[in-house]
Formats: sequence, structure tokens, C-alpha cells
Amino acid sequence: MIFTPSGGFKKNRVDWILFFTVIALLTLGSLAIFSSVAVLPQQARIIRTHLIAIPLGFAAFAVIWSLNYQIFQDQWKFVYGAALLILLGVLIFGVVDKGSRSWYHLSLFSVQPSEFARIALILVIANYLDKRITRIREFPVVLGAIFLSLPVFLLLIKQPDFSAVLITLPVVLIMLFAAGANFFHLSVILGYSFITALFPVLWTVITLNPELLESPVINYFFHLPDFGWNTLLFVAGVGAAAYLLWVLSVKLYSNISGMFFAGAAVVLVLGFFSGIMVKNQMKDYQQKRLKVFLSPESDPRGAGYNLLQARIAIGSGGLFGKGIFSGTQSRLGFVPERHTDFILAVIGEELGFWGTMLVMGLYVLILGRLKACAHLARDRFGYLVNCGIFGMFMVYFFINFGMLLGLSPVAGVPLPLLSYGGSNLVATLMALGLAQSIYARRYALV
Amino acid sequence: MIERGISRDRLDILWLCVAAVGLVFFLRLVNLQILMHTYYRNIAEKNRTQILPQSAPRGRIYTRDSAAVAANKPSFSLIYFPGRLRSVDTMDKIAASLARRLSVPFEELRASLYKAVKKEAPMRLAENLSLKAMFSLSELKTLYEGIDIIVEARRYYPFGNYLSHLTGYISKMDAKEWAIYGKNKNYSMDSRVGKTGLEKKYEKNLKGKDGGIYLEVDARGKLNRILESRKWAPGADIYLTVDSKIQAAAEAGLKKSSTSRGAVVAIDPRSGAVLAIASMPDYDPNRFVSYSDEKTEDDFKELPEFNVAIQGTYPPGSIFKIVSAVAAFESGRLDPAEAFFCPGYYDAGSRVFKCWEKKGHGRMDFMQGLTHSCDVYFYNLGLKTGALNIEKYSRAFRLGMPTGIPLPDEKSGNVFGPSKRAARKSYWFIGDTLNLSIGQGELLVTPIQMAQMAAAVANGGVFWRPYYVERVVNSEGKDVFKGKPELLSKVVLKDSTWALIRDGLKQVVLEGTGRAAKINGVEVFGKTGTAQNPHGKDHAWFVAFARLPGEDSEIAVAVLVEYGEHGASSAAPIARDVIKAALRGKLPERREKSQGTGQRSEVRGQRSEVTAEDAGAEPPTAQSGLEELSVSTTAVLEEGR
Repeated sequence: MIFTPSGGFKKNRVDWILFFTVIALLTLGSLAIFSSVAVLPQQARIIRTHLIAIPLGFAAFAVIWSLNYQIFQDQWKFVYGAALLILLGVLIFGVVDKGSRSWYHLSLFSVQPSEFARIALILVIANYLDKRITRIREFPVVLGAIFLSLPVFLLLIKQPDFSAVLITLPVVLIMLFAAGANFFHLSVILGYSFITALFPVLWTVITLNPELLESPVINYFFHLPDFGWNTLLFVAGVGAAAYLLWVLSVKLYSNISGMFFAGAAVVLVLGFFSGIMVKNQMKDYQQKRLKVFLSPESDPRGAGYNLLQARIAIGSGGLFGKGIFSGTQSRLGFVPERHTDFILAVIGEELGFWGTMLVMGLYVLILGRLKACAHLARDRFGYLVNCGIFGMFMVYFFINFGMLLGLSPVAGVPLPLLSYGGSNLVATLMALGLAQSIYARRYALV
Repeated sequence: MIERGISRDRLDILWLCVAAVGLVFFLRLVNLQILMHTYYRNIAEKNRTQILPQSAPRGRIYTRDSAAVAANKPSFSLIYFPGRLRSVDTMDKIAASLARRLSVPFEELRASLYKAVKKEAPMRLAENLSLKAMFSLSELKTLYEGIDIIVEARRYYPFGNYLSHLTGYISKMDAKEWAIYGKNKNYSMDSRVGKTGLEKKYEKNLKGKDGGIYLEVDARGKLNRILESRKWAPGADIYLTVDSKIQAAAEAGLKKSSTSRGAVVAIDPRSGAVLAIASMPDYDPNRFVSYSDEKTEDDFKELPEFNVAIQGTYPPGSIFKIVSAVAAFESGRLDPAEAFFCPGYYDAGSRVFKCWEKKGHGRMDFMQGLTHSCDVYFYNLGLKTGALNIEKYSRAFRLGMPTGIPLPDEKSGNVFGPSKRAARKSYWFIGDTLNLSIGQGELLVTPIQMAQMAAAVANGGVFWRPYYVERVVNSEGKDVFKGKPELLSKVVLKDSTWALIRDGLKQVVLEGTGRAAKINGVEVFGKTGTAQNPHGKDHAWFVAFARLPGEDSEIAVAVLVEYGEHGASSAAPIARDVIKAALRGKLPERREKSQGTGQRSEVRGQRSEVTAEDAGAEPPTAQSGLEELSVSTTAVLEEGR
């Protein structure tokens, strides 16, 4: 039943455009990886892993594609449980690398469960939204989606793997958005996330400029995470301020509901507490990254330097590049993480403007095909899953390109299908297999 | 479309977002990869290349007869590249092991290493290594990466002190020089530049084009491969008008003089070409080429950079009598046959002026007065001629004016006379006239001015600008510069005056005070002088010019021996040696030796140890040896690459 092709054997059961785009990106990525690791001592291991990951990825692609995607909706509890289980397992059995416990160490390669958990979360959220689509404009439904994904986020923060959160959270929001959630509700969630992120940033700014502590207000604010009387005072103060503003708005005959002020206060307080939590979870290198982003000159040879070198690599490529296997910036080690997060710098340097344009074009093509697949999907679940995959590619594309071009902060986010990274590659191909499964079964009647 | 209960606009909005952000990325990429491409490419190139500069051999300096005064020889330097091993511990270890082998203080080496790492540039740790040091260091090369030995051309002055004031020396740049030369890409912080003399004046020509090895390094500074090895182009060679034999004679003469201080300037009266220019005390320019350490710092402080020949000003003493006599006869105020009685002094009323001969010379006409340099005769001559006339002719003879030799900081001396006094609103006394007529008082001249004057008397009043560079030949063998005689002015006198003066000067050498300069078979014209020095012993002067009978004068020479007391005894023999060196090969053979010594023994100065061999002194090293040296230098340099 599972393997029964639906809708008969139509010619185009595969979206060949998407398929060949993927092949093109993989070829380009493999070339760039081989070029950039050619002088690294660990090149043998990297190439081996990459060559294992590609067939594994295609196998996963083929399996998922041949499966009827609806099975994931039926078995959503199993999918959700598996995702939580692998994330929980990594906290117990995983190995620590760069301060994060986010890898399963297998004999041949390592596996990063957060990549697969993301796909699972997309399926779970899609199912959740599919079931409640008529009530999507109610806040509890939106909140429910967040609460459903919260265990995943908490487990990711526990590792801690903030870049996984950075990708996954927007994906959930995009799915909510695509499902038709209320803008106001989304902005509450966004505001909450914003405040959660803002508090650690503010505290980092204060540690960078100790002279600010002379002001009593800032000094008070800085000591809030200590959880003393002042913390309680802060919470009470926020509540009182919200109440006073509500009273004022009533006096002014404005028709803003009291819920708005209550909600704002709750969001602020909750954001505050989760901000404290995030700050306490941050590892040294992550705090350093944040500091570098806030004041690049504080660490000229650190993350700021890396970013600059990557930009030099891209810029020095010019229109046609220096030729594949002849980039000086990347091959001589000036560009860090050149086979993973900064792979675009290698392509930009060796293939030039046309190379980066090609990559961008292929990405836009994938996104376009995913959009088309979504529209062709035969049911709402398929549509929502495709929206999630679309969102995932979009976030990767925005953050990675934006980081290299100096438009967004440094974050350890790879470019799927291009960057080296077995788990990411397999998970990405799985996601695309899912999209293909939806595409292939577009005509089938329920 | 299957009814989903969802508006499909939402996905389209997201699709629009992708398009908008994609457009931003596109514009950013255009800016980065197309518009700013050159900027980033240059940074990328700079990132990966490390230049190991190799200074080009400076141009050599040759004398007229092709003796190399300044050449180059291969030198081995220790270089440090800031590489992967840049922890403080490693650098301390490197510094410690180098300090043991190089006998350079540990702290200094460590500071250099730190600086190299900080500047991310190669650094010379030691230069001019001995062969022994090199062997013990080559073993270090294998232990620590980043340490390397390179070969370079190093300035070398084969004759040491020889001609040092003219050639000058090279050394490290100071901040001021760096501000000037630093703009030129050809100079690096540790380039050597000419500090004085020719080395400074012709820095541009001598420098040459530095080469370098362009190395590709990776992000950790580790050497990857050699990208390009750019060969240096040697600097232009300079050929001087100075003759090595004449110069050697001048220097040997000065060195052997009683005080070993003074100057000799020899000029070709036909063109103004400087044949010899010696100044003592001198120095060895080789001292400054080497790597700076404390010892050379001290050397700098007491360096005898003062070039007596162009910067020393002295009263001319009796050699000024030439000008006084010219003034007297040219103005027609005095008949050369008119004689005055010399009792050994002259009573000017308020004060008694003495003649150098206390016993007195008796009755003297011009010929005798000049021959014996009788002061009393010239007191009378001065009074008859008038101070204004003498002043006029001292100006015509370009006293008080720099000769214009292209060397920095030439002094102009001082003319002295009634008009100058008047300009200063002061009075002129009769005593001043007397002082002026025998060249004492406020009159100040430099040795090169006197040589120029002697040359003018020899060639009939033509004043050339002295020049010493015959040509500058660049590495391709083309002349970049050619020295040319340059006429400054001409003194036009009656033929009778010239004849009278020349006869007198010839007589001085034949039977008068200048007998020590007599050379058989050569017509030598000369005049001795003694410059009164209130601070110590008098300075000795001798000016002369010489010709073979029937030919034009070939050399004019001025000799000053500081504190030499008498021109006749200390200055004249030096002039004789110089003239002999200049006319070598044209003199009648032999015979002269016994006569030369015989004559000299009569002279008051008792310089019997001077022999004819000394007079024709050879330059310190044989010519052929020099050429061999320069050839082998290039050979080793080629090999070293």
C-alpha cells in the first residue's frame, strides 16, 4: 500500500528541473570542496565522508520519494517521538565538538541529529496546522504550534546548537505564516523571540563597555540575571507599567483591549526569562561571536577577520574567477571553514561572478520549484510540508549569502547541497525527496 | 486547485521576499566582484605574497684611471620570516640560540623577532656573516623554520680611507631620510642610502633597482613556493676625473706631513677637472656599511666628516701676494723694477709690522720680493696700489665666493677690503691695507679656492667650475651624465702682467721659498704661504701649477697643512709629489732622484726621508687585483642566486 504509485504511471513523476538543479549544485559543491580541502591534512577523511554522504543522500531521496508522504501524517506521533529521541540521545551519547554536544560519533562518520529533527518538525507542524486550519486565526492554535516545537528548541539549546535554532525557528514561523496565521499573533511570537535575543545582546554590550555600569539604571539592569529582589522588582514593574498604560488608554477612550497590554507584559517578562536562559546556555565561543558582531575590532584575527578574508576571496574572484583549483585565498587557508560555511567564498574566488550568479540562480530555481510543488500538492498537508521545505531553503540561502556578503551577522550556517557536511546533505536530500513525493502524487485522489 | 482553506497568496509573498533579497544579493555581488574587484584582488595578492628583498649592487665608483674606489662584495645575511612558529616561547628559543652563535645580545634579537612577527614582514637579524658563523647557522635553518640565509651585494671600499671625503659613505636611513626615500618603492626600511659625498649626491644613479624573491605563503605564514624571482639591476657606475695616482700622492703626502692634517686640491687648469681632492683627517667608509651596533653609533659621533678642502677656511697668507701683485701691476700703480728696502720690519707709525725674515731682506724689487716672499716689499706694494684695488682683484679672482664644485656645504670664505668695511659702517686703517697686501687679517679662503686661483693664473685667467664626475654609466652601458667644463668667469689682464707674475712664481720655485717643489724637466710655478693662526701653530700653504716646457699647464694644486708652520717645508714637498704623480711618464728618466733628495735636504723642513719613490706613490692596491676582486664579486653573486 505504501509503495503503490498514486495517479498511475504518469510521465513526469519526477520534477526533472528540480532534480537536475540538485545535481548541478552537488557537482559544483563537490568541486569546490575538493579544491578547498586539497591542501588540508584531513582532506582524505573529508573527501571520503563526502563520497559516502552523496549516495546515502540519494538513497534517502529515493526512499522518501517512493513513499507516500501521507504516511508521515498518519504516523506523526512516531515521527515526533523519533525526533525527540535522537535529540535526547545525543545529549547522552553524543560527543563534544567545539563546545557543543551535537554529534553521534559513528565509526565511519558522524551524524548530526538536529538536521533530521528539523525535517521531522516540519512534518509534525504541517500535520498540526492541517488539522486546525479552520481555527488558524486563533492565537491558541499559533501558540500550540510553538509549544509543539518547544521541546525540540529546548533540546537544541541544551546542546547548545544555536545555529540549528536559528534555522528551525524561522521555518516554523514561515509555516505558520503560509498557513494563514494572524499577523498580530506572528508578531507577538516574533517579539518574544526578539526580546529573548535582545537581552543577551544588551548584556554583552554592557560587558564590552564597562564604563556604562556607572549609570545606576544600567547597573541595575546588568544585575538582573542574578535573580534577587531586583528581578522580582523588574517583573512587578513591567506588570505595573502595563496596567498603568491600560488605565491611561481607557481614560483616553481608546479601544485597545486590555489583552494587548497584558500580552505585551507577559511577552516582555517571558522574553526576559528566556533571554537569561539563553545567556546562561551560551558557550564561550558563541559569546565571542556575539561580541565580534557587536564590535568587530575587538578581535581582528577572529570571526571579523574570517569574514573579511572570505569577502576578499569573493571580491578577488572578479568576473570569471581565478579558475577552479587555483583560488589563493581559499587554498592557502586565509578563508576559514572554507569547505563548510564559507564554500561560497571558494566558488566566488575560483569561478568568479558567474559562479556566484550560477549558485544563486540554482537556489532561486530550487525555491521556485518548491513553490510550484507546493501549489501542485494534492492536499493541505503536502502544501504545508512543501512550505516548510521552501522556508528551510530560504533561510539557509538568506543567512549564508547574507553573512558572506556582510549583510547579516556571522553564524555557522552552511549552504545545503554545496557545503561539506554529511548529515546536512542527507537531510536536505530527504527533504527534497519529500517534496518529490508530494509532487509525484499530485494527481491522486484522496 | 484543490480547496485547502488557505490563501495561496502567503507563499507568493514569501516568493516575493526571495526575489527582493535575491536582488539585493545580486547588487552586492556586482559591487563586490565587479566594481571592487581590483581592490580585493590586490589585497588577496598582498595576503599571499611575502617579499624577500635583495638589494641591488650599488654602482661602482672609479677614478679616471679605472681604480675602483667603491665596489661591492657578496655578503651573507640572516633573515627571519614570521612563520608558523610564532609563540613567544619559540621566538625566545630562536633568539637564545642565535645569540650564542652571532654574539649579538639576546634582547636585541628577541626585539627584532617580535617586530618581524608584528609587522608580518621578513627581518634581517644579522648581516655580513662570517663563513664560520654561516656554517653554524645553516644547521639552525633546519631546526627552526623561518630562518634563512641570503646572499646580497654589499658596499665595499677597497682602499678604506682613500678618497673618503669625496665618495662619502652609506648607512641606514634615519627618520628624515625615510620620509624622502620611503616614497620611492625601491627603498625599504633597511635600505642603505648615501649619507655624504658622492654616495649621497648620486644616490639616485648609484642605487640601482632592487630585486626580490616573491614567495607564496599560506595563512599561517608558511612558505609555499617561490612565485617569482625578480632580478636586481645594478646601479650606474661613476667615473671620476680624479686620478688615483695623484690622489694617492696627495693623501700620502698629507699623512706624512708633520701634523697629518690638511687638504690637497689638484685641478686641471685646462678644464677645471678635479684631479685630486684630499682632506685629513679622514675615515674608513667601510665602517658604516655593516649592521648597526653600538660601536658604529659611537663612530658616527666623532666622524671626521669635515672636508677641509672645501669647508676649511684659513687666511691665505703669502699666497695672496699673487693677487696683490696682479692688482699693483694691472692698475699701473707700481713699476716692477722699483725696489724697496727691507730692514725686517715696516714702521706704520702707530704700529710696527714685521717681515717674516727678522734680519731683513735688504733692497728688493718685485722679482726678489716675490721670490723671497718679502713682507716689507708687499707692504709698500699694498700702500702704493691701494687697498681698494687689491679688494677689486681679490673679487675678480673669485675669493669670497664658493667655487661651485658640486659638493654640499662648500664654504665661501671671506674677502676683506675697504668697500666691505664701508658696507659694515666701519673704518679702514692703514694697518688693514698692510695686512691685506700679505694676505692676513680678515681674509679667509678654502683650499679649493686657492687651487682654482692657481689654475686661473696657469691658464691665463679662466675660472672653471671644478667638477669631479667625468661620466655616469648605467648598467646598460649608456652614459647618463657627462661632466663638462663650465666657465664661471675670466679675468682679463695685460699679457705683461701675466708674464711678470708667472716669471715671479717660477723664480719662487727655482731659487726662492718654494724650492722644495722643484722638479727637473718640469716648469713648476708656486708660491708658499703661512697663515697666521692665533690659536696655535701657523698653517702652511703652497699653491703651484706646472707644465712641461713649451706646453700648457696640466695641473694646478693647492696644499694646506694645518699647523704646518711653514709652507716651504711642509706644504711644498706635497705639491711636488702631486705634480710628479700628475706628470708621471712624461718626465725625463732617472737622474732626478739624486737631485730631488739633494734639493730637499737643503730645505728647512728636514724631510730627507722623502724619496722619489714616495713621490710617485702607487695607489694602495694594484689595478689588476682590483678588477679581479670586482669580477669575483659578481661571480659569487650570480652563483648565490
